[in-house]
Amino acid sequence: MTKIIGKVAATEKAPTTIDEFYFWTDKIRILHPFDVVKANHIHNSITFGIIEEISHITDAVSYLTSYISSDFGDVSLDANTDRIGMNFVKAKVLGNTENIYNPVLDGSRVSLVNANEVQEALGLDNIKNPLPSGYLEMYEGEDKVILPVNFNSHFLIGPEGSHINISGISGLAAKTSYAMFLIKAIQYKYLNEIDVKPNDTIAFVLFNVKGRDLLAIDEPNERLTDTDKNIYKMLDLDEQPFQNVKYFYPHSNSEHPNTYAHPNDVKYQIDQDRAFKYKYIYEYDKDSLELLFSNIDDTTGTMDSIINYIITGQGEFGNIRNWKDFMSEIDSHCQKQSGKATEITVTSWRKFKRVVRKALTNPLFSKRVVVESNEIRLREHIADKIQKNDVCVVDIAKLDEDMQAFVFGDVIKAVYDMKLGQVGDRPEEEIPTKIIIFVDELNKYASKDAPKSSPILRQIIDITERGRSLGIILFAAEQFRSAIHDSVKGNCATDAYGRTNSIEISKPDYRYIPSVYKGMMTRLKQGEYIIQNPIFRSLLNIKFPNPLYKQFQDG
Amino acid sequence: MDKILYFIANSTSGSCYKSFKYCFERVEVPLIIYDDKQNIVFSKDKNGETDKGLKTSKSLEKLAKLINQENKPLFKYFLDGSRRTYKVDDIAYDNRLYPIIAGQIGVGCCERKNPSSFKNIILENYLALALPACANKDSIDDELFFNSLIPKFNNLTVLKNRGILFKKILPYSDMRLKEGEKYEHKGIAKIQDEMTESEKRLVIQLVKERRLNFDSYLLKDGSLQYQKIRGGNIIDLSAIKSNYQCVVGVSKSFNPELCRDQKNKSIAKNIADLRLFHRTPAYKYSAERSPGVEFSVWYFRIREVSKTTSPFDGILKVEKILVTDNEQEKGLDSDEIDRISANLINERNPTCYGSDNRWANHLYPVYLTETFIKSRYLSDVFFLNLF
Repeated sequence: MTKIIGKVAATEKAPTTIDEFYFWTDKIRILHPFDVVKANHIHNSITFGIIEEISHITDAVSYLTSYISSDFGDVSLDANTDRIGMNFVKAKVLGNTENIYNPVLDGSRVSLVNANEVQEALGLDNIKNPLPSGYLEMYEGEDKVILPVNFNSHFLIGPEGSHINISGISGLAAKTSYAMFLIKAIQYKYLNEIDVKPNDTIAFVLFNVKGRDLLAIDEPNERLTDTDKNIYKMLDLDEQPFQNVKYFYPHSNSEHPNTYAHPNDVKYQIDQDRAFKYKYIYEYDKDSLELLFSNIDDTTGTMDSIINYIITGQGEFGNIRNWKDFMSEIDSHCQKQSGKATEITVTSWRKFKRVVRKALTNPLFSKRVVVESNEIRLREHIADKIQKNDVCVVDIAKLDEDMQAFVFGDVIKAVYDMKLGQVGDRPEEEIPTKIIIFVDELNKYASKDAPKSSPILRQIIDITERGRSLGIILFAAEQFRSAIHDSVKGNCATDAYGRTNSIEISKPDYRYIPSVYKGMMTRLKQGEYIIQNPIFRSLLNIKFPNPLYKQFQDG
Repeated sequence: MDKILYFIANSTSGSCYKSFKYCFERVEVPLIIYDDKQNIVFSKDKNGETDKGLKTSKSLEKLAKLINQENKPLFKYFLDGSRRTYKVDDIAYDNRLYPIIAGQIGVGCCERKNPSSFKNIILENYLALALPACANKDSIDDELFFNSLIPKFNNLTVLKNRGILFKKILPYSDMRLKEGEKYEHKGIAKIQDEMTESEKRLVIQLVKERRLNFDSYLLKDGSLQYQKIRGGNIIDLSAIKSNYQCVVGVSKSFNPELCRDQKNKSIAKNIADLRLFHRTPAYKYSAERSPGVEFSVWYFRIREVSKTTSPFDGILKVEKILVTDNEQEKGLDSDEIDRISANLINERNPTCYGSDNRWANHLYPVYLTETFIKSRYLSDVFFLNLF
C-alpha cells in the first residue's frame, strides 16, 4: 500500500528543480535524512527523492510574533489553538522511472516507498558482483523498511575501482569492525566462490594496531546476539569467524614484550602452527633501514646518503652480519675526527645513530631466525608463503611509532615486490591475484604533514595510484580524514564516514556533503556509516552487525 | 482573450471599452472601514443583560483562567467570509457608462477538535459578476434574465478550458447617483451582499448538521447585522433567530461613535479606558436593516493599551442575537456574556503579529480561517486576464 505523506510545494523562492524538490508533511510524521520518498510525476512516472533536510515552519513571521503570542513572555500560557505549522522536507532527486527529469510539479503527491522501490531508487537492484556493505533502515514503526545494501565488488576491490577509506573517531566509529565486516564478506565470497571469477584469488594482510583487537579473529564471538545472526542471514553471509588465519607477532624477550597478546595464547597458536614470530636480520633487512626515517625531515639528503653508504656495503658495512656490529661501525663513524676527508660529516652520522639506536635495541632485530621455533622474516614469508584466502594478521600494537612504520613499510614493500614478481620464484598462478591490506591509523603513514621524502608515504601513494591494476587494495582507516594526504584519499573509490566531531566536519574535505548529513556525522551511532561509492546514486546511511570474531573486553 | 467582455456586451446589447482592469482591494484607499453598520437603533432601556447593576466595567481574568484550566473551550467552529472585487471594464447602455464588477467570494468554516487539529469543514468559493440592472433591457424579471445568462457565459471557451465557473450574475441599481456615490460601490455592495448571503447559508448548514450546541459555539468574524434578516413572518423570523442561538459575532474594528449609554452619552472614552480583560455592560439595540431582530452588544479589552498603537486596538466588539422572549425582555444572561467573553480572552493567543496590522484585535482561529479562504482565491493577474 502506498502511504501518502504530503504534497510537493513549488514556490517562487524555493522552486522544484531537476535536482531537488520540497514537500510538506504533517508536523508529527517522523522522517529521517536518507529516507527515500517518491512523488507522482508526469506521464504516470514516479520521481524518487532522498531526504536531505527537514524543517518545521509556522506562520509566525518573526521570533517576536512567538514572544507576543505568549502574552509578551508568559511561559505558563497554554493557548486554545496551536499555531499552524508543518514540516517541509527537502529531497534530492534520485531518478525517475521514465527518465523524466522535469522538475516535479507543485501539488504532486509524495508517499513512502517499499523495499523494492528503495532498491530501484538507490540503484541497488541488479547490482553485479554483489558484496554486502551493510544494510539500511528507513522510516519508523509499521512503515519500517530494512534491506541489505551491496557493493559491486568490482568497484571496491577492483578492477573498476578500488581502495576504501574509513574515517571516524576512535571507539564510537567502530572503524576496525567495519573493515573486518567487509573483509569477512569478501573472504566468504572467495572461499565459497560465490560471484567470483575463475582464477580470481585473494589474500589479506591486516595490521593489528590496538591491544588484542585482531588477535583472535578465527575464534567465534560468543556475545553475538540473535539479531546480529539474523542480519548476517539477511545479508547472505555465514556466522563463522575468519578462516585460514595466521598471526605474526614481533619477536620478544622478557625485557621487551613486544605484544599485548597473552604469552599462553601466543604459545597455543604457535603450537597449532597458526602463529609466527617475525624478526629482522641485518644481512637481509638492512635495505629497509630507510623506513626508520620516514618521519624525519631530510632536506639535505644526508640520511639518504648514509643509508646508501650502508646498503651498498661501503666501508665495513659490507662485511657486517649482525645489528650489534652494525651499531659499533656506526659508533666508529661518529668518532672519526676531522682531518680525514669524508663525504658525510660526523654530525650526520651522529644524527643517524640517534635515530637507529633506539630501534635497534628492540629484540626484533636479531641475528638469525630459527624456522623450527616458527620464527620467520616477514618479507620472506609473505613473498613465499601467502596463499589464496589467507588472512595474515601482523601485530604491531605494542611497538613504538617508528617501529610500527618500519614494519608496515616493510610488509607493503614485500607485497609490492611480490606482485611485481621481483622476489621469489613462485609461479604466477600461485600468487593471489588480489591482496587486501588493512591498516588503521593511516595518518601515521600517509599524513598530509609527512615529509615528502617519506618512503612509506611514497609507497602508499603508489599503491593507491597503481595498486588497482596490480591487485593491491588498501583498506585504510583513520580518525580524521582531513589529516590524510590528498592523493591517498583521492584515489580511494569508496569512502566510509563514521561518527566524527564538529571541528572535523568544518574542514574542506566535507565541503560537498550537505549540511544535514554533516550534522548527522557527529551523531552517528556505533555501527552506522555514511558511505559513498561510484555505483550508488547518493550517499547512503548504512549499518552493519557486530563482528563474528572474538572481542576482548579489556582491549 | 476579451471574449468574456465581448459576450457580455453582445448579450446585453451594450458596448465595452477595454478600460484598465484592477482589483479594488489592491488600490490604497485612505478610508476607515468599520465592520459594523451605521444605522443602528438603541432599544429604549438600552440594557442588554440581566445584571442591571453593572455600570462601568468588570474583569473577566479569573473566569478566563478557570475556563482555561478546564481545557474545554466554548468555541469549536469559526466562520469567516471574504470577497475580492475587481473592475474589469466599463460598459455603455443608453449613453451612460457603468462599470462591470467581478468578484471572488469565499466563505468558509473551520473546526477545531483540539489545539493541534484545525481543519476546514465547509468552503463556498465562487465567482460572481455585477452588472447594472439596465443590462436587462426588457421587462423580464432581473433574476430570471441574469440567471439565464449564466450557462451560456460559463460555456465560453476561455472559462470552460480552465474549468472556471461563474455562479452568479448580480444586477446593481442603476438609479441616478447621489452626491459622493459611485456605481462601483454599488457593484461592490452587491458582491458583499452575496457574500453575507453565503455566510447565512453556511450557518444554516451548520445548524442542520447539528454541529452547534451549548458546548460548541460558532465564532463569526464581523458583525451579525445582516441586511436581510427579513422580518414580517413571525415563524420565519424565529427560525432564523434560533439558528443564531450558538453564534457569536466579533468585530475587530467598530465605530466608537455609535456607542451611547443610557443617557445618550458617547461611551467611546469608557471603551478606550477599559482595563485589560474588562468588559463593558451589554447594550441592547436593533439594526434598521433587520427589524424585529435585537442584539446584545458589549466591548472588552484583550490587550494592554500600553502594548498597542491606539486605544481601540485590543478591544473587541461582541454581538449576539437575542433569541428567546425572555432574552428580548430582560437582556442576555450576564453569566452567558461573562462566559463568552472569558472564552474569547482565551482565544487571544497566538497572535498574527507581523503578518497582519490588526494583530491586536485578531483572534487566531478566525485569522486562520480567513487566511485559508484567501489562499483559495485565483491570483489577481490570472483572474483579471480572463476578461
